[in-house]
Amino acid sequence: QPQNEHIELHRRRYGYRLDYHEKRRKKEGREAHERSRKAKKMIGLKAKLYHKQRHAEKIQMKKTIKMHEKRNTKKKDDEKTPKGAVPAYLLDREGQSRAKVLSNMIKQKRKEKAGKWEVPVPKVRAQGETEVLKVIRTGKRKKKAWKRMVTKVCFVGDGFTRKPPKYERFIRPMGLRFKKAHVTHPELKATFCLPILGVKKNPSSPLYTTLGVITKGTVIEVNVSELGLVTQGGKVIWGKYAQVTNNPENDGCINAVLLV
Amino acid sequence: MALYNFKKITVVPSAKDFIDLTLSKTQRKTPTVIHKHYQIHRIRHFYMRKVKYTQQNYHDRLTQILTDFPKLDDIHPFYADLMNVLYDKDHYKLALGQINIAKNLIDNVGKDYVRLMKYGDSLYRCKQLKRAALGRMCTIIKRQKQSLEYLEQVRQHLSRLPTIDPNTRTLLLCGYPNVGKSSFINKVTRADVEVQPYAFTTKSLFVGHMDYKYLRWQVVDTPGILDHPLEDRNTIEMQAITALAHLRAAVLYVMDVSEQCGHSLEEQVELFRNIKPLFANKPLIIVANKCDVKRIAELPEESQKIFEAFEAEGFSVIETSTLTEEGVIQVKTEACDRLLAHRVDTKMKGNKVNEVLNRLHLAMPTKRDNKERLPFIPEGAVARKKRMEVDTPKRKLERDIELEMGDDYVLDLQKYWDLMNSSEKYDKIPEIWEGHNILDFIDPDIMRKLEELEKEEELREAAGEYDSEPESEDEEMMEIRQLAQQIREKKKLKILQSKEKDTRGPRMPRTAKKASIEHTLVQRKVLEKEMTDLGLDMTNKDDAHYVRRSRSVTRKRKRDESETPKSVARSRSSSRTPRDVSGLRDEKMVKKVKTMAKKAQKKMNRLGKKGESDRHIFNLKPRHLLAGKRKSGKTQRR
Repeated sequence: QPQNEHIELHRRRYGYRLDYHEKRRKKEGREAHERSRKAKKMIGLKAKLYHKQRHAEKIQMKKTIKMHEKRNTKKKDDEKTPKGAVPAYLLDREGQSRAKVLSNMIKQKRKEKAGKWEVPVPKVRAQGETEVLKVIRTGKRKKKAWKRMVTKVCFVGDGFTRKPPKYERFIRPMGLRFKKAHVTHPELKATFCLPILGVKKNPSSPLYTTLGVITKGTVIEVNVSELGLVTQGGKVIWGKYAQVTNNPENDGCINAVLLV
Repeated sequence: MALYNFKKITVVPSAKDFIDLTLSKTQRKTPTVIHKHYQIHRIRHFYMRKVKYTQQNYHDRLTQILTDFPKLDDIHPFYADLMNVLYDKDHYKLALGQINIAKNLIDNVGKDYVRLMKYGDSLYRCKQLKRAALGRMCTIIKRQKQSLEYLEQVRQHLSRLPTIDPNTRTLLLCGYPNVGKSSFINKVTRADVEVQPYAFTTKSLFVGHMDYKYLRWQVVDTPGILDHPLEDRNTIEMQAITALAHLRAAVLYVMDVSEQCGHSLEEQVELFRNIKPLFANKPLIIVANKCDVKRIAELPEESQKIFEAFEAEGFSVIETSTLTEEGVIQVKTEACDRLLAHRVDTKMKGNKVNEVLNRLHLAMPTKRDNKERLPFIPEGAVARKKRMEVDTPKRKLERDIELEMGDDYVLDLQKYWDLMNSSEKYDKIPEIWEGHNILDFIDPDIMRKLEELEKEEELREAAGEYDSEPESEDEEMMEIRQLAQQIREKKKLKILQSKEKDTRGPRMPRTAKKASIEHTLVQRKVLEKEMTDLGLDMTNKDDAHYVRRSRSVTRKRKRDESETPKSVARSRSSSRTPRDVSGLRDEKMVKKVKTMAKKAQKKMNRLGKKGESDRHIFNLKPRHLLAGKRKSGKTQRR
């Protein structure tokens, strides 16, 4: 039976076929032609994927070629130019006037003030009731239409118990209840899976806030005890706000950015 | 316990390939068309199916990998140890653990997203959910890249390990590197292990098989072991140690007497002492190899004492030389015998023997009287046996004579005839002598025998043995025979009748037609007379085309100008133009006509048709035109 490295052993004993190297050289020479033929003939989804991959390859190749070229040529050294140096055709211009400086300062202050309430997702599309709540028909003849089912992802607290089914107006299906969110720290650029504590505000409507509906732009409170943040005074921070950045009903998960 | 076959483990694809494979499979094997206006349950089902299909595929493939790779606890400890040495048990288990985790994760993802998809109320939402699900599963696989790579390498190496049966009779070779273990195994079995002058040529275990006493034996060749403590040993040496530790085999400790391996005799003895604990319970033989270079007797006193010490301890020392092959067979027989005895001993001591022993009973016949009854051996057999041993020349066979004489040999059976007068052996036997047929007198009783035969024949005939069998046919056959008879009669009558009809008179045979042509055609004289009456000059018309030439002339003509038809040179009455040139003007036309005829036949012949009217289609519904999706191309060619 062929044991261990029988292929290498055979090669060492008997060498290669007489035309082996020739064949290999020719095969490698043919590679380019084969590839181009394949690329021309492929159609359909396969072709799309192939062309995408090939495009990426080509970009890389071009980059390396460019890098090699750069190495051989001389380039302008940016560090040598002093700061504030201005090209000849701009020498005649006046510097910034004091008035302008003042107005800039005021604008800056205003921005900073507004910046306190800055959120990563400032504007969101408002979700109408028909979109978020689906009408459920009940009754013997299915005529009554006072029940609503939430079609978006929602959060219900720990001690949540449904109202008796006969009286509950808003149905929040179990399949759409989420407890955890993937929260990204904007500075650390790291993502953690943290449990949700509650929904703070839903920008579309206060009704959604009370129901706990989570859509894009909702501000939620998450349990950050995992991160081990500490206040100046030495207390451990365990709850922080985060804003949802995706459409959870389309993706099946809640992605949020921590509001620092 | 599952039976593992190391050579049949499924190929572990790389992460990228795995993803491509599964996704393209999903795209091909699930329906692809969906529209916004379909009913929502249909849309949901469509996308759920894709998610489930992908999940199922991943699950199946990963389960296959997990079951195919051997669990280190389930296999023989020899293999478990060997795999630990080669692949690191921890790493191996971790890799398989990771794959298991990935499988569970993928299952969970699939479940979750299918649950979510039930609440999808639009095509866009369901599509996004499916995209998220597939993406998540593929990310999980992408993270397993390292494990998959590692497992693929393990699989490749594992499939090339030699199949060593740990339970059968085995001889194990061990010793320093370069002492001659691989040469020994090459000599004794058909294994072709590389033998080179540098140390550690053999880097792993090799197995060879040989036969002895009608049994199959394994011979295992190990890489050389150096003399240092167990912790310092590298992977290659550890393989040898593993084999020594786990295989219950006869150990052949090979030593190099001539010290050509680069290690002195003392070092080799030191190594022997160090690994002695591994030889417990195993029959051991010390093989003093390379004795063609230096014999033990040539060694100095101290070295010889070492060997004597070995003998004293009870290990047999055998001198061998794999180059001159002396002592090799001796080692083999000694080792095999010792191992067999050892195995039998162990079996006797074990528990299983009792079950068999109870049922075994050797029956000896009881003596009925005191008479000695020795076996009877005929004289010839004894003589022959003696002859076999003494090796007397046998009588000369015909074959020997044939070989001697070569081409001149003639088979001459008459020399063996037993006649009263031996000089008559080669006489020719006449056929008739004094008016009598010799063959009649071959046998003195020939007349009597002939009469007996004839009588017998008469009796037989009288008994009716030669009568044709009575028709055992039934009514049907009788009817058919009658009918056939009638048909035959009718046929004959019809022939006679038609002969009588004589509508066209007596028919001439075709051969006679030629003679009649003359009467039907116009005579030369008549033609010329009529033309001169009309006013044409008809003198000197011997060369005209209507002149009938005698046969020989026309024949000659035909042969000279082989293909020229020249209907001018021929008159109709003498010879008809052959059919293939009739109606054609000249040679050029004939050629063209011939080529046209051949061309017309080409297509027919190529398609294997019987003739130009054969339009039979062998396959009315070819599979390649009617089956499958219309991917690229039309129905004509798909």
